[in-house]
Amino acid sequence: MEETTFLLMAINGVLAYSFYAVLVAGQLSLAQIGCAAVAAFTAVRFTPDDPLLGFIPRLLVAIAIGMVVGAVVALLIGLPVMRLRGVFLAIATLGFAEMARITLNNMSWTGGALGTRVEKLVTLPIAVVVLALVAYWFARQRRSRLGRALDAIREDELAAQAMGIDVARYRLVSYVTAGAVAGLYGVMYAYFTRFIEPNNFNFPAAVDGLVKAVVGGSVVFVGPVLGAVFFELIPEAQRAIGLEAGWIRPFLAGALLLGVIVFLPGGFASLIPSRRMGRVRQPAAGPIPASPPSTLAAADPGPVDADGAPELLRLRGWSKDYGGVHAVRDVDLEIRAGEVLGLIGPNGAGKTTLVNMISGFVAPSSGTGSVLGVALGTRPRADRIARAGVGRTFQHSKLFSRLSALENVLVGAHRVSRPTFLRRLVWLPSADRDERDALGRAWAQLDRVGLGDRADVRASGLAYGDQRRLEIARALAGDPQLLILDEPAAGMNHVEAAAVGELITSLAADGVTILLIEHNVRLVLRTCTRIVVLNFGQVIAEGPPDEIASNDAVIEAYLGADTTTAPSA
Amino acid sequence: MQQVVNGISIGAIYALFALGFTLVFSVLDRLNLAHAAVYAAGAYIGIELVGDAGLPIWAGIPLVFVAGGVLGVVIERIAFAPIKSRPDAHFGGLIASIAVGAMMIALLQQRYGPQTKRFPPDTFPNHRYEIGSVAVSLLQLVIIGVSLLLTLALWWLVNRTGLGRAMRAVAEDPHAARIVGIHVDVITATTFALSSGLGAVAGVLFALDVNSALLDMGYNIELKGLAVIIVGGMGSIPGALLGGMIVGLAEVLTIAHIGSTWRDVVTFGLLVGILVLRPQGLFGTRRARQV
Repeated sequence: MEETTFLLMAINGVLAYSFYAVLVAGQLSLAQIGCAAVAAFTAVRFTPDDPLLGFIPRLLVAIAIGMVVGAVVALLIGLPVMRLRGVFLAIATLGFAEMARITLNNMSWTGGALGTRVEKLVTLPIAVVVLALVAYWFARQRRSRLGRALDAIREDELAAQAMGIDVARYRLVSYVTAGAVAGLYGVMYAYFTRFIEPNNFNFPAAVDGLVKAVVGGSVVFVGPVLGAVFFELIPEAQRAIGLEAGWIRPFLAGALLLGVIVFLPGGFASLIPSRRMGRVRQPAAGPIPASPPSTLAAADPGPVDADGAPELLRLRGWSKDYGGVHAVRDVDLEIRAGEVLGLIGPNGAGKTTLVNMISGFVAPSSGTGSVLGVALGTRPRADRIARAGVGRTFQHSKLFSRLSALENVLVGAHRVSRPTFLRRLVWLPSADRDERDALGRAWAQLDRVGLGDRADVRASGLAYGDQRRLEIARALAGDPQLLILDEPAAGMNHVEAAAVGELITSLAADGVTILLIEHNVRLVLRTCTRIVVLNFGQVIAEGPPDEIASNDAVIEAYLGADTTTAPSA
Repeated sequence: MQQVVNGISIGAIYALFALGFTLVFSVLDRLNLAHAAVYAAGAYIGIELVGDAGLPIWAGIPLVFVAGGVLGVVIERIAFAPIKSRPDAHFGGLIASIAVGAMMIALLQQRYGPQTKRFPPDTFPNHRYEIGSVAVSLLQLVIIGVSLLLTLALWWLVNRTGLGRAMRAVAEDPHAARIVGIHVDVITATTFALSSGLGAVAGVLFALDVNSALLDMGYNIELKGLAVIIVGGMGSIPGALLGGMIVGLAEVLTIAHIGSTWRDVVTFGLLVGILVLRPQGLFGTRRARQV
């Protein structure tokens, strides 16, 4: 093989990494090729003819210009497409990339369709070093707090928000990273081929980069390198065995791509055995801090009631209408620190709607309120409320299904852990310490719910009851002051439900305030200190368990007329 | 006015192409990027039927539709069916259809060679009509007529027949559709067949219009088709028709008044503007997100 082949592998590997950067966060963006185009032409235009200050090599200057320009372009494209997901995001970003290409084509300073001559400055060693640096960047990202947040967003955006992850910000981080890497590719490409025209950065080029990232593997960091190497090897191999008819090459490339997609879902990288987190229990660095760093939870605890317990939540006149349906009507509710508040009511009573409003996923139609000092307005932010200290589980499990149990819980610790990526890049020991702290926290919560021996199992591979308990462990890992459990025992048999009841009691003993929504009335009566009953969106009763159990309105609305048998939903 | 007629005629081809795109998306929630390869295949098959087999064009077009339908089933079987139950099936299907599209183009090259292919000179009568200052060719009228007819037929099929009801049920919830006895696999294959049939006819009409077929002819219209379905609204049949017309007109008017090199900037500007301001498109409905 010639040197050019290796050079192409390295340079195309960089392009594949720019796609990898967004794919790890589940974002199918094709804007990178546009970033690369703008970056390449700008860098070629503005790089001086002599080394900067007499000693900084020109290629280095060009790379710096290209990466900055690529990142800025990605940011400018990323902001307006923030609302879009999936296919729509792909199409919009493709539209931007095509607009960038055609605009460059119409500019005189780029040489338009005639292109621009560029000096060849990129040699094989340079290209390999650049690729290695990019790969190193993503290798260190992987097990950082940033990497986990991106994993979480890829698996389930809503659940990521419930862990306190600012999804919009992290998505932008992934776009900007991709833009910078794409800019790097554009510059490398320009100073390698000696000649660039805007049409080098068209839709097929974007698809090429995407395909290399996907075929190599878009979840493991070596994937893009494998993809780039593979696609450069195909023509080499065909030449070697003498299959060179014009149509055979694209046909085989297509067939191989299809084969990889169908038979190797994780790309080539899935062939490399990798340690799934949770198989080996690492010793904790030191004693695990019992409570979260207080700066995070310093929110105003709100007014203090007669007993001296601060109010964590206060709602006044809360309503939610869906069209003509009043899901929640004029609800007043407060939760005091240390309580275990049960929220019960028949199906459709508005329990889950209320919980979704409290945790910031749904905006109320009217009413005022605050939770842990955060106002619950008309444009609530679930991640902000989670960061203030509200942890929750979902009625239908929202686990990060392709992450291991331990990794799920690690994401839950997002709120109480510190960013580690930049420190990991330079191997600062403090980053390692923080990571081990987070791991210790995660192990402790897994043990607490009894999943310590299944830490390395993928969340999707756990039994149903284990999944529900994993959700609780994940919410606990963020050290919440207020924990909302949305039907934690739904679908469990009575043994499992009893275990959940014990868990709730032990959490309450540790001082966690809990809001429990549950159909299993026996469980609620046994674990809660106070119960609120909702029917048709309105509060129909409120009081300690023994009062509720004998309240006529509740019995009529919920328990049914026959009071001699305790129902268990 | 002349520009408007030209714009509507090219827009009708875009609409027909986009109709197939949007049908698969609305029923199966998949984006089939091999659609552009079917479009090219439609053009080549049409030329072979007329040029080599000597069929008249009016018989060729229905046969192209059938051939496109067969290709659609093949695409569904080898690109989408094997991965349909995977969590990332959406994304995997996108890539798999790119792969199958590339394979189909390679096979077209094997069969027809890399050169441009043309219809025989007298394939289509070269009538032109003058209405005031506006010239309309018979071919333009046929293109517009066929597109309108097929759009109406598809709309009727989806909204007024049992097959259409089954398709809408699958679109709503494939699992529930299976439970009530709908043959989801048959509906899926039928949807792909219809979609690709429309794409192939769009290809043969375009090849008639410019009297040439090229291997990479699908690349340009693929981007246009995406713009059309976004502007009209993903999954909307009237939206695809109107979107096609809007994009066609925007292009022709841009060429006339701004310059041909800016043509696609306006198209993509339209696409991006709609996506940012009204992501559901002009006719689409927004899907609520679920907590």
